[in-house]
Amino acid sequence: MSFKEIKEERFGITYYELHHSSGLTIYVCPQEGFRSAYAVIGTNFGSMNAEFIHNGNKITVPDGTAHYLEHKLFESEEGDAFSQYAKTGASANAYTSFDHTCYLFSCTERFGESLEILFDLIQSPYFTPETVAKEQGIIGQEIKMYDDSPDWRVTMNLLQSMYQKHPINKDIAGTVETIAEITPEILYECYHSYYNLNNMVLCIAGNADLGLIEEIADKKLKINEAVQTESIFPDEPYEVGKSYVEQSLPVAMPMMALGFKEEAGKGFASTKELLCSSILLEAFAGEGSALYRKLLDKKLINSTFGTEYMEGKGYRTVIFEGETADPAALSRILKEEITLLHQQGISQQDFESAKRCTYGRLARGLDAPSSVASSMIGAAFAGRKLFESIELIADITLEDVNERLKEQLDVQNCCLSVIKGIEGISQT
Amino acid sequence: MNGFMRKEICEGVVFNSIVDHRFRIGRLSVTLLLPLSRETAAANALLSCVLTRSCQKYPDFTSLNRKLNELYGAALYPMVRRIGDFQAITISASGLDDRYTLDNESVSSELAELLCAILCEPKLINGHFDEEDVEQERRQLLEDIDAEYNEKRVYAVNRCIEKMCRDELFAIGRYGTREDVVKLTQEQLVSAWKNLLECAKIEITMLGSADPEKAYQRFAEIFGNKPRKIGGSTKIITEVPEVKHIVETDEITQSKLVLGYRCAYPKDQRQIVAASLMSAILGGTPTSKLFSNVREKQSLCYYCASRVDTEKAILLIDSGVETENIGKAQEAIIEQVELLKNGRITDDEMLSAKLAVKNAYISALDSLMSVQAFYIQSILRTEHLSPEEAADIVESITRDEIIDLAASMQLDTVFSLVGNE
Repeated sequence: MSFKEIKEERFGITYYELHHSSGLTIYVCPQEGFRSAYAVIGTNFGSMNAEFIHNGNKITVPDGTAHYLEHKLFESEEGDAFSQYAKTGASANAYTSFDHTCYLFSCTERFGESLEILFDLIQSPYFTPETVAKEQGIIGQEIKMYDDSPDWRVTMNLLQSMYQKHPINKDIAGTVETIAEITPEILYECYHSYYNLNNMVLCIAGNADLGLIEEIADKKLKINEAVQTESIFPDEPYEVGKSYVEQSLPVAMPMMALGFKEEAGKGFASTKELLCSSILLEAFAGEGSALYRKLLDKKLINSTFGTEYMEGKGYRTVIFEGETADPAALSRILKEEITLLHQQGISQQDFESAKRCTYGRLARGLDAPSSVASSMIGAAFAGRKLFESIELIADITLEDVNERLKEQLDVQNCCLSVIKGIEGISQT
Repeated sequence: MNGFMRKEICEGVVFNSIVDHRFRIGRLSVTLLLPLSRETAAANALLSCVLTRSCQKYPDFTSLNRKLNELYGAALYPMVRRIGDFQAITISASGLDDRYTLDNESVSSELAELLCAILCEPKLINGHFDEEDVEQERRQLLEDIDAEYNEKRVYAVNRCIEKMCRDELFAIGRYGTREDVVKLTQEQLVSAWKNLLECAKIEITMLGSADPEKAYQRFAEIFGNKPRKIGGSTKIITEVPEVKHIVETDEITQSKLVLGYRCAYPKDQRQIVAASLMSAILGGTPTSKLFSNVREKQSLCYYCASRVDTEKAILLIDSGVETENIGKAQEAIIEQVELLKNGRITDDEMLSAKLAVKNAYISALDSLMSVQAFYIQSILRTEHLSPEEAADIVESITRDEIIDLAASMQLDTVFSLVGNE
C-alpha cells in the first residue's frame, strides 16, 4: 500500500492520500522550503455527538463528554503528553468543537518522534476514577472562563435560542453539573466508538516526508476492526426556538449576533454551496459593500463587524456579529436590507468584486502549514474533496450566487442575541 | 534565510526585503517609530486609522475598499504598539502573489503604490483631514479602547501594566488615553502626520516573491533626502522600594491575578534570547514551572503563564483563578519564581525550554507575519539577527546566564481583578 498522488492545478498544490491497513486515512501535503511540519489527527466526535448507536446499542453520554475525553486522552500511565512532546521540542495542543475532536503538534525537528507520541496518545486510553475526578476542577475553571467571555456567550446564546432540539445548542464543555456525571466507563465507551482508526483522519502539511510517515504508521498503528458508530440527532424544526435572547455581562459596549437559520438536511454543505455563501456575504456585507458603508455612517458598527457561516450535520446558519451601541437598530437595518436583497439580488459588479476577493482569501488561507492541514482535515470530516474550492471558484456565476440566496437569509427565521453591559458598573 | 537584504535609504530609514517564493501572498509594511509622549500618542494612533481609510486617489472608505477587493481582497491596515517607551505605527499591505493573479496583474506594485499614497497623499481639504473620516475613526478608536475591558484576561494584564508603570511613559498606552482621543483637533492630527513623515525612524519590510527593487526606489524617492534621528530612551527600573498591591472587583466568575516583575535590561541579542529562555522555563510552555506546578499539581488556576518584554525589561505572570484561591495562587507563583531565582532549574526544564524556544524561532520563518514581527521587534537595537541566528544562539546559552537574569527579578505589582462569588 502506498500514497496516491493528487494534483490541484491552479495553485500548484500536490497532496497524497493513504488508506492505511490499520484503518486510518492519512492526507499529506508537503510544502517545499518550509521548515515546520504540522500534524493533526481527529475524529468526528464533538459536543453534539452525545447520542449514538455503537454496534447496535444506543448510548447517551453527559454533555461535555467529548471535551472531557480530549483532556483525559492527553494523559497516559506514563504521564501527560505535554511532557513527552517537551522532549522533542514540538508545540502540541488539542481542541474539541461541536462536531470533532483534534490532537495536533507542530515542530521543526524530530518530526518522527513527535508523530510516534501522537499515535501513542490516541491509542492508549487510561482512565481511572481518580484521574477522571482530578480533571473536574480544571475543566470547571475552563467553563467559568468561557462564562465570562462575551464573544463566546453571544454565539452560544444565539445557538441555544435558534435550535430547539439539535445538540448544537449545548455548550462544548458541558456544565459543572453534567461533567460531574462522567465516569471512566463512559469515556471508554466513547473512545471505542469514535477513536477507532477507521473513524479517524490524520492530516500533515509542511516539511513532511511521506516515507517516514508511512514507516511510523506501520510501526505504531494497531490494526482496528471497523466498528459501526452512528450519531443520532433529533428532528429539528425549521423555525427558530426564540427570536431574541439577551444577557448582561461586564462589557463596555453591547455585542450582538444576528443568526439566520436555514434548512440543513442531514449532511454537510457542498463546496459549491460554501463558495456561493462566501461570495454572497462578501458582496452584501463586506467592507466594500454599500451596506457596510451605510452602517458605518449610522455609527452602528466598527471593525469588529463581520459575517460567518456555520454549518454541519443538521445545522446551517448565517451569523452577522459585532459590537454595536444599538443592537436593535443594527438588527432592524440588516433585516430591511436583506429583504431588499431578496428582491433585487446581487449585482454583476458586486459579484465580480466579491468573487475576486474570495479567490484572494483562499490563497491567503493556504500558506502556513497549520492552515493547510486545518483546511484538509475540515474538508475530510465534511466529506468534501480537499482544496476543491480553488478548482470550483472560477466557474461560479452570478446566477449560482443568486440561486443560493433563495435558500439563505430568511428574515422570518432569525434570532438576535445581545450581550449588554451591567447597569451601575462603569469602567474607569 | 535566502534573499535577505537590509539597505539604509538614509539615516533613520531602512528598507528590508526578503525574496521568498514559498508563499501565495506578499507583504509590505512601513513602521514609523517615535518616542511615546502624552502629547502625541493619541494623535499618532488616530492618524494611523484616518490614513488607512482614504487617500486622494481613493477618496472614501468604500472606493478604497473596492480597490482592495479588485486586488483580490488585499488587506491594508494599521497597527499600533509599544516597543519600550516608544510608539510604533505599522501600516501593512498584504495581497495575492503576482504569480497567482487571474489576469496577470501585478498586485505587489499596486500595493506599494497604494501604501505610498496612503502615507504621503492623504485626502486633505484646505489643509485638514476629511472631517467625516476623522469622526468615524475617532468613534471607532474610542470603541476599541473601551473594548479592551471586555476580555478580562487582556484587561487585567493591561491594568497591571498601567499601575506598575504609572510614573513612566510606558503607562500611556499604545493609543494614548481616551480623554486625549476625545479632545484631538485637526491641527494636532495634521502636525502628527507631518511629524511622522519628517521625524520618525522608519523601517520598511517587503516579503514575498516580487522583486523589491522597484519598491525600494519608490520609498527612496519619498524618504531619500530626509535623514532623521529620534531621541528618547526607555526608562528601565531595577530597584523596587515597595511592592504595590492593587485589588479591583468586577462581575466575573473567574478572578484574574497578575504579577508584574522588573528585571535587568537585556543589553544584546544574546541576553534577549536568554530572557526568552528564562520566561519559557518559568511559564512559557506546558511543562514550565508555573503550568506544571501551579496548574497541574496544585490545581490552583486554569491558566498561569509568563511573558517577558525585553524592551521594557518587565516580566508579567497572569493567571485565571477561583476567588477563594487568589492568596494561595499568589504564594505558589512566588514560590516558583524564587526557585528559579535560586537556580533550581532541572536538566529537563532547561532542555525542553531550549527546544521550545528554538522551535518558535524556526517556525516563525514559515509565516510572513511572524517574520515581519520578528524584525520590527528589534527596531530599537543595533544588532539585527535573523530568526535562524537567534535559534543558533539558544544552544549556547548557559544555565548561569539564565540564573543571572532571573536573580535580577523583583516583584513590583500584584494586581487582582476579583469576581463576586
